[in-house]
Amino acid sequence: MPKGLFVDTSICTGCKACQVACKEWNGLPYEPSHFRLDPVEKRPVAVNFTGNSYDNTKALSATDWRHVRFIERFDESRTLTRWYFSSDSCKHCGDAGCLNACPTGAIVRTDLGNVVVRQDVCIGCKYCIPSCPFGVIALSETTGTVHKCTLCDDRIHNGLGTACAKACPTGSIRFGEVAGLKEHANGRLARVKSLGYAEANIYGYAEAGGLNVFYLFLERPSVYGQPEKAEVPQRRLPVASAVAVAGALAVGAAALVSFRERTARNPEGGGGEETR
Amino acid sequence: MNPEVHVPGWEWYYVAMYFFVGGVSAGAYFIGSLAELFGGERYRSLSRTAYYVAFPLILLTPPLLILDLGRPVRFWHLLLDANSGLPYLNVQSPLSVGSWALLLFGAMSFLSFLDNLVSEGRLKGAPWAHLYSGWPRKVYAAVGSVAGFFVAGYTGVVLNVTARPLWVATDPLVGALFIASAASTGAAAIALADAWRRGVPEVPRAAVDRFDRIVKGLELVLAIAVVAVAGKYAAPLLSGVYALAYWGGAVALGIVLPLAWAWGAAPVRAAAGTRLIPVLVLVGGALLRIALVQAGQVQ
Repeated sequence: MPKGLFVDTSICTGCKACQVACKEWNGLPYEPSHFRLDPVEKRPVAVNFTGNSYDNTKALSATDWRHVRFIERFDESRTLTRWYFSSDSCKHCGDAGCLNACPTGAIVRTDLGNVVVRQDVCIGCKYCIPSCPFGVIALSETTGTVHKCTLCDDRIHNGLGTACAKACPTGSIRFGEVAGLKEHANGRLARVKSLGYAEANIYGYAEAGGLNVFYLFLERPSVYGQPEKAEVPQRRLPVASAVAVAGALAVGAAALVSFRERTARNPEGGGGEETR
Repeated sequence: MNPEVHVPGWEWYYVAMYFFVGGVSAGAYFIGSLAELFGGERYRSLSRTAYYVAFPLILLTPPLLILDLGRPVRFWHLLLDANSGLPYLNVQSPLSVGSWALLLFGAMSFLSFLDNLVSEGRLKGAPWAHLYSGWPRKVYAAVGSVAGFFVAGYTGVVLNVTARPLWVATDPLVGALFIASAASTGAAAIALADAWRRGVPEVPRAAVDRFDRIVKGLELVLAIAVVAVAGKYAAPLLSGVYALAYWGGAVALGIVLPLAWAWGAAPVRAAAGTRLIPVLVLVGGALLRIALVQAGQVQ
């Protein structure tokens, strides 16, 4: 029975407790300092701020397996209308681009449906990185291997929920069996729609073979930085291969017409026929 | 398409150069082997040069591939399962299938190289002497040219089968483009090697030149089509350094100028042309790979 997360962005407060809990449980290194001592002025100066709302880590990375997005929505008159928060992570896709792309079998799916990188097997070829349609998996220069959220593989195989869900103070991140989470999500969707959010949607039922980590969004997925159409790259492999084969056949045909015709006029080969 | 898809951070001097050198080696090999298979003994000299070029070049490629890895000493995981030690293949991953194709191509190009050395009398005392220059040579040529087409083309499929916007937008043409470029640069490598080899029996140049014109025409059409189908995602190839590399280097120097030379000045084959033009074609082929690999990684 696959386990996963339902992230109800409508009740997220952007507190980042999930980010902190993720770092603590998984022993991920702290972020570079936001202040440094200015050597001339002899006082601390602010560096390394994103300038994007309260976002401090910009994106998912090898050391940030969870990232709370801050989305400020302004209307025409530049009066703030909505401020959304969305806690993002690996979605543990049913049809995982990273897993499909891995040439070494380092990326595997466990019995609970979560997708995990085997750190002792990964060679750091980096092919999984552009193969993730969500921009999740990333290389660590320190280990030379790729890292991403494991869905707290160690915790969930020992009867615990994920660290992020445990730390979430509003119940926005909910851990459980995917089937049960979907039931809950459908109820929440009906509820927010009845409150007037006509564009509200569940993100992750159809995307990339069904996501084990899925979301309730109040607006289009692109507002939350997620692709509207999350396609798995490997589904394009048959056509891409067929066109490459066609290219090879065209070059082969060019060789055939070039080299064979010359042979027919070759005095050593077909010379006898030519003189006739 | 999602611009937030991460970039792999492949270095141009490893990955794009591997794409290029692997393509030249594979292109030279399949030209030599197809000429011999289709045209017979008349092309023996051409295929000899091709095999002398292909094997040393393919030897350069594993270091390029391995040095770009985050954990280079684990490169063998590409072929053998890290836990069981049994051969490992992931048919959904062009990188996995490509690793095996590279191994097969390397083996075939080595055997053809060895066959050359023995049949030209440069290597004496080889076992099973009667098997050289005979039917096994044709088997290597047939298997090796199929593997060679794979090595030349899978690198383009590797790019297309990702989620990076430019590489998705150019799907599914890059594999075919790289094969055409491999043929063109392979022919250039053979021409260059012939120019340096002394006392080589005259190769039927007209046939080689005709093949070269056809594949360059195909390459030109594909190079333009790749940018046309990409639409707005082709922006990194339309301005800046990668536009210069692509249009100025790969297209103008690598395809258009050699084609113009071939049509305009074919009868007057100046000594400079026989060496300068192949060099331009090779530089263009390298810039084609660099432009497509690096422009796809512009954030």
